[in-house]
Amino acid sequence: MTTLAVAQSEWIKMRSLRSTVGSLVAVFLATVGFSALVCALVKKSEVESPDFDPLELSFYGLTFGQVAAISFGTLVVSQEFHVGALRVSLSAVPRRGVFYASKMAMTGAVALAVGLLSGFTTLLLGQVLIGDAGIGVSDPGALRAVVGSAAYLALMALFAAGLTALLRSGVAVLSLLIPLLLIVPFIFTDFASGTMSYLPNRAGQLLIRQYPDGPIGPWAGLGVTALWTCAALLAGWYAVNRRDA
Amino acid sequence: MATIEIRGLTKVYGNTRAVDQLTFDVQPGRVTGFLGPNGAGKSTTMRLLLGLDRPTAGSASIDGRPFVSSEVPLRQVGALLDPQAAHSGRTARNHLLALAISNNIPVSRVAEVLEQTGIAAAGKQRVKTFSLGMRQRLGIAAALLGDAAVLLLDEPTNGLDPAGINWLRELLREFARQGRTVLVSSHLMSETALTVDHLVILGRGRLLIDLPMQEFIDSRNTPRVQVRSAEPGRLRTELAARGFAIDERADDEDDNSLTVEGARADVIGGIAAQEGISLLELTDQRVSLERAYLELTADQTEFTTETPVAGRQNSA
Repeated sequence: MTTLAVAQSEWIKMRSLRSTVGSLVAVFLATVGFSALVCALVKKSEVESPDFDPLELSFYGLTFGQVAAISFGTLVVSQEFHVGALRVSLSAVPRRGVFYASKMAMTGAVALAVGLLSGFTTLLLGQVLIGDAGIGVSDPGALRAVVGSAAYLALMALFAAGLTALLRSGVAVLSLLIPLLLIVPFIFTDFASGTMSYLPNRAGQLLIRQYPDGPIGPWAGLGVTALWTCAALLAGWYAVNRRDA
Repeated sequence: MATIEIRGLTKVYGNTRAVDQLTFDVQPGRVTGFLGPNGAGKSTTMRLLLGLDRPTAGSASIDGRPFVSSEVPLRQVGALLDPQAAHSGRTARNHLLALAISNNIPVSRVAEVLEQTGIAAAGKQRVKTFSLGMRQRLGIAAALLGDAAVLLLDEPTNGLDPAGINWLRELLREFARQGRTVLVSSHLMSETALTVDHLVILGRGRLLIDLPMQEFIDSRNTPRVQVRSAEPGRLRTELAARGFAIDERADDEDDNSLTVEGARADVIGGIAAQEGISLLELTDQRVSLERAYLELTADQTEFTTETPVAGRQNSA
C-alpha cells in the first residue's frame, strides 16, 4: 500500500461520480463563462476609465468558479460519509494518515489542474473580447493571475474539503461557505480594505488585479488563503484521525 | 494462516457497553459463526477488529498485529460490513476498481470477482439500480478482491436468494478448507447450522459461548422421544407408572402422539414391546441450533418481542 496507489484510487473515486466530475466542469464553465460575458458586454466608457482593470474583468467569473471549486472539495469528502463508505475506504486503507493525505493531495492537484485550464482560457478569451484595451500574457500580472487563480481555486477546494472532514456533512459546509463567500462581501464592501481583506476569499482574489491595493500584497493574500486552508485541513485531519468511522 | 485474537475487548458508547470484556480466538481452517441477538455487539466487534472504531479497553489483532498496521490490508482481510456502503452513484466496476488500485491488486481481479459473485453483467451499472441481493453480492465481491487470508462477513446472507445462499455456503466451506480464517455473522440459524464448524455467541456485549457447534448443541440437548402409538392411553399410563414425564404441550395436534422427556428411543421402544403396545412412530428428538440458541439467548435479548418461538427438529 503506497500513497501513490491510494492517490490513484482517489482519482478513480473522483472521476467515477457524476457529481464530482460535474463540479469540475462547473469550475471551468462558471469561471470562463461569466468572465466572457462581462468582457463581451463591457462599455467603452468603462474601458476608458482610469480605474479599469482588464485583468480583473477577465477573471470576473472566478467568484462563481470558486463556488464550484468549493462544491468539488465538499463532494470529494462528503461521499465518504454516505452510509458506510468511509468504513469500506478505511478497511482498504486503514492508515488514516495515508488515506487523508492522499485524498487531499489528489483533490488539490485536480483542482489546480482545472484551475490552470480555466485561468488560461478565461484570460485569453476575456482579453480578446475586451478588444483594443486588452492585455497579453506577457503583460504585468497576467501570468500571476493565471497561476494565482488556479492556486486560489485549489486552496478553496481544500478549505471546503477540510471543513467537510471536520463537520462530516457536505450540506453544512456549503450552507456555511456559500453565504460567507457570496453574500458577506457584498454587504460589507466598505470594509474591503480592512478586516475583510483577511477573509480567505478576499485575500486570495487580490491576485487577479493588475495593480492590487489593500493592506497586503497579492502573494501575501494567497498566503492568507493558504493559512485558512491549512487550518481547515488540520481540523479535518484531527477529526478523521480521532473519530470512530 | 491467520488467527484473530480478541483480548479483553471493551467498547463503551455513552452509557452503553456495546462490547464488554470479550476474549476469544478465531482459528484458521474452519468457519466460525458469530451469533447473538440484535445489539449484542457483533458488528461493533468487527469494526474494532478492523480499526474503524477505537476500543475503550483491550485489543483485537490478526496474527499478533493490529489490522491498522497492515502493509497489504485487502490481502489480509476481506470484509463485508454493510451492503449499502458502495456509493449509489458509482458503477459496481468502479467501486471495486478504486479498492483494487489502492492496494496494488491487479485490475483483472475486478472482472474475476464480478464474475464469481454473479454480477458481471451489471458491472457497468450504477449501484443505485441494484437490489439488496445484488448489493450484497457486490459487498462480497469487494471482500473477495484481495484473495485474503481472513474473511469477515457481517450478515452476508441478507437479501440473497436461495441459490445465492447455497453458493455462499460452498464458498465459505471452500475458504475454510484452504486453511483461511472465516468469521461470519448471521441470524439464519438453519443456514448457520449447515455452514459453520465453530460458534462464538454474544449477548449484551459479553461472550456467552465459544464452542464447536456440535458440542454446543449437545450441551443444550436433553433427550426427548416422540412416539406415536395405536394405544396412546395405555402407553401413557405405562410410561407414567415408570416415572417418565410426558410433555403434554408438544402433542396438541395429534392425540396419538406423545413426547417423553428424559428418555431415548431404545428405552421407550423396549417398554412398548414388553407391554405389547404397537408403535406407529418412534423418534429421538434432537435440539436444533435454532432452539439451543433461542434458549441460550432468551434472557439476553435486548430488543425482544412477545411472540414465542419454539420448534424442535426431528432427526431420524
